Amino acid sequence: MTPSPEGRPEETDMELIKQWKAGDSRAATRLVGRHSEALARFAASVGEREGIEELVQDTFVRAFASLDSFRGSSTLRTWLFTIERRLMLDRRRSERRSRETVPVEESDHVSEYGALDSLIAEEAQERVRKSLDALSPTQREVFTLRVQQGLSYKEIAEVVGSTEGAARVHYHNAIRTVKEFLRDE
Amino acid sequence: MNRCSDSDIRELLPDLLHGTLAADARGRVEAHVATCGECREELDVLRAIKTAAVFAPQIDVDRVVRQIPPYRTIVPVTERPVRTRAVSWLVAATMAIVVIGGGSLVLMRPKVVNDPRAVASTERPPAPNPAESTAASSRIPAAGATGPTAVVSAPPHPRALALAANVDDLSDGDLRQLMNDMNRFDALPASEPDPVISVDSGTSLDQDLR
Repeated sequence: MTPSPEGRPEETDMELIKQWKAGDSRAATRLVGRHSEALARFAASVGEREGIEELVQDTFVRAFASLDSFRGSSTLRTWLFTIERRLMLDRRRSERRSRETVPVEESDHVSEYGALDSLIAEEAQERVRKSLDALSPTQREVFTLRVQQGLSYKEIAEVVGSTEGAARVHYHNAIRTVKEFLRDE
Repeated sequence: MNRCSDSDIRELLPDLLHGTLAADARGRVEAHVATCGECREELDVLRAIKTAAVFAPQIDVDRVVRQIPPYRTIVPVTERPVRTRAVSWLVAATMAIVVIGGGSLVLMRPKVVNDPRAVASTERPPAPNPAESTAASSRIPAAGATGPTAVVSAPPHPRALALAANVDDLSDGDLRQLMNDMNRFDALPASEPDPVISVDSGTSLDQDLR
């Protein structure tokens, strides 16, 4: 148990889960508050542009609905990333299907990227974003989980459904691509 | 800038960034970064990506929590009762089908007449008159039948007796007429054959020709 900023000992995820199961709804609030930002950042990092809040919400609803299946062999955050990633894949699949039937208007692209561009204030951030865009989807996932979330290769392998060695290779290829991109800019 | 050959240290740069290294490992990595230009550059890139590249929306924690059902209400949904109920219905439906189907088969199956007494009754010589024939059929074994099975123990079916008596009474002309009428019958069997009355006495197969 690590001390919280207020000085009192901070409960572990497993302790909070136990409290929530015992009927303490504040434990859920603490768990969501602890992990929601990381989930939102991960979604944004791997290319989600819209509906991130709904995605995070769905992730927690799913996770809490199946908390009995969480054995604690990985950290709760890794498990949450796994659920969120699965939801993102489902969402992209359904979007792909709807794109096949509904023609996408040119203005959709303009508004989407226009809104994003407005958020990017500095040139350095723009360059970094572009460097991530140069990665393959898997490289981007692995790189984001490693650099932005600080997950180990073992945890990354669990999230993306791969092996530790494969995750390591994806990371090395990704960092090389990013560095080359930034050097050439 | 020299290329760094210490891949083990470079592996740990993201962990250094997140402060997740143990004290001794952290000291080792920091000492290496201080002397290695490439690792310093890589650490700068990683730091820039970690801090600057993401524009995630602020999550309303209370709103998310409101969507989470309490633990007590989730458990029954994920448990078995619904499935058990479905299985019960399935078993009940299967049993009903078996009972109805089996019953229908039993009811629709034509009875096979293999009683030797029935065959014997058809070979019986004509009785001199109906009254005598009736009396004889209830009193004595059928002609041609041998052994204890030929003994008539049950009373004859009244309608079968009447038919047999009537046929016996017919003249040659009437019999010819009857045969002609029979020839006009439809030879195809009915889709649902009539139930056959048991002929366990001195009745004949004539009733099957009705």
